[in-house]
Amino acid sequence: MTDVRVSMDPGNLGPMPRPASEPWKAKNPRRSAKILLASTLPAIVAIAIGFFSKLDYAVIMMLVFLPLQIISSVAVGRNIYGKKGMADALLVVFTIFFATFVGVLLSSVIWSVISQGAHAMSLQFISQNNVYITPTTSLDYGGVGHAILGTVLIVGFTTLLTVPLGLLVAVYLTETRSKLRNTVRTLVQAMSGLPSVVAGLFIYSALIVQLHIHYGGWLGSLALLPLMLPTVARVAEEALRLVPQDLRNGALALGAPAYRAFLQVTLPAAKTGLITAVILGIARVIGETAPLILTVNNFNGTVIDLSQPMAALPTYIFQFIANSNDTSTSRAWGAALMVLILVAILFTAARLVGRDKRAAKRK
Amino acid sequence: MTVENPHLQAKDVNVWFGERHVLRDVNLVFPANQVTALIGPSGCGKSTFLRTLNRMHELIPSAGFAGEVLLDNKDIYAPEMDPTNVRLSIGMVFQKPNPFPTMSIKENVLSGLKLSGRKAGNAAELVETSLKRASIWNEVKDRLNDPALSLSGGQQQRLCIARSLAMNPEVLLMDEPCSALDPGSTRRVEETIMELSPTMTIVIVTHNMQQAQRISDQTAFFLAEDGNPGRVVEFGATEQVFNQPIDPRTNDYVNGHFG
Repeated sequence: MTDVRVSMDPGNLGPMPRPASEPWKAKNPRRSAKILLASTLPAIVAIAIGFFSKLDYAVIMMLVFLPLQIISSVAVGRNIYGKKGMADALLVVFTIFFATFVGVLLSSVIWSVISQGAHAMSLQFISQNNVYITPTTSLDYGGVGHAILGTVLIVGFTTLLTVPLGLLVAVYLTETRSKLRNTVRTLVQAMSGLPSVVAGLFIYSALIVQLHIHYGGWLGSLALLPLMLPTVARVAEEALRLVPQDLRNGALALGAPAYRAFLQVTLPAAKTGLITAVILGIARVIGETAPLILTVNNFNGTVIDLSQPMAALPTYIFQFIANSNDTSTSRAWGAALMVLILVAILFTAARLVGRDKRAAKRK
Repeated sequence: MTVENPHLQAKDVNVWFGERHVLRDVNLVFPANQVTALIGPSGCGKSTFLRTLNRMHELIPSAGFAGEVLLDNKDIYAPEMDPTNVRLSIGMVFQKPNPFPTMSIKENVLSGLKLSGRKAGNAAELVETSLKRASIWNEVKDRLNDPALSLSGGQQQRLCIARSLAMNPEVLLMDEPCSALDPGSTRRVEETIMELSPTMTIVIVTHNMQQAQRISDQTAFFLAEDGNPGRVVEFGATEQVFNQPIDPRTNDYVNGHFG
């Protein structure tokens, strides 16, 4: 029999100071040493082999490092935790390896854009347009101001057209019980596989060739619409689906017509997700080049009239990457960096808008 | 059993989900200003039946229905009846508290008016009386503009009751309103029900036998046996259903022998 103390000393019921030790953080030197060995040895061996054999490091990563790391981790996992440790070790190695792989890929893309683009970046590059600029003009003159404006106008107009449509599709998919929902969902999904050049060619052949409409920014917006719509519709659908059915029922049980229940309860509850849908949609089309080349053409001056040909960042990049001299390439990199910056600004703004109200209310 | 002054009445209510028959020939009468408890084991169709009483049932895909539900002798399933109007007169409180997360406490109380497109004559007064009737006023009167989700579970449930009361329904349906609450909150919700009952017809689904005995005037015992659709085995004054049940299965159930 074990003695169990049921009640404390009634004279001392107050709080006690927190002890410094935490049982789950207790050190186990033998175990730490094994883990350290398992996680450094394969890397050391791989580097050594790479140093002496002159094999490509990518090959060594996949053929030497990864197998070695798997073997050592699984061995140590088994040694410390037994059989279940082997599966755990395998999962940990694969997760970290491929997450790092993707991370390195992504950061190398971003880094090359930033490092090469920073070269061209300046206040004048952001604000000036491309009039009188030849492929060999020094980087001290001209810039992408007109292209930023063009991109904002074209993509802005696309957003104006697409967001209501995408939202309506999402509402149709989540709030109705129509039998055609699966068909519509499949069609929307299929639409997201549409090559952007086909969207451009469609507008080009239907409106420019057939109806003799002049090249213009608004045609570009039309061409971007089918590219943006699937993203907005799908993400908005997910956002609306996440709103608990209980909330809809709560509103309906109060005698609300379906449209009011949707507008006043479901829509506000899904707000953050819907903003994400819009942002992802914009990010999807902001870099599209082919549809714009086919429908907007290009222009060196600053244009704010959407019915006229105008520049956009992707077409600007396309224009200068075609020339092989250094200043042109630098301009193209600078414009690419500008696209990244625009997207970054957009994401940050959306996060702030999405968060602001809740944070303010919580006070 | 004869009932004077029937307010709400279910006549031969049958319910299907797809081809599955889940409720068969339910006949119940809910007298004005009385509390009726619906008891029975899980899956016997009590909640489903409750949802047929204010036409929330039809919102479930594949739902089927036959029979009549009479509110003041008018069938709420008649073709000319608008389900939104039915739900205005027959309010509902759900099992899980579901305050609207994007609204403050005050906005939640007024949400019914806004959602049905009506104006509050005196909003501040309506908020106060509704919250008082749901006995939560004292706890929230100093923070009416706080988000509804800052309340505890029990307070959220009473807020949902207040939200329903603000619409001034004739009938209030409650689907296990205390199943997610601690004993203290449960007691306060029960007190609220007792205070409401002189002016409102209340139908409550509960798994808690003591609760049914404490708060209800009459009790209906639902049972679904051997894969058959659920039906009402016994219906009568609470006193009688619990102390001198006619059917032996009722006796077994209320005394905890099964279910």
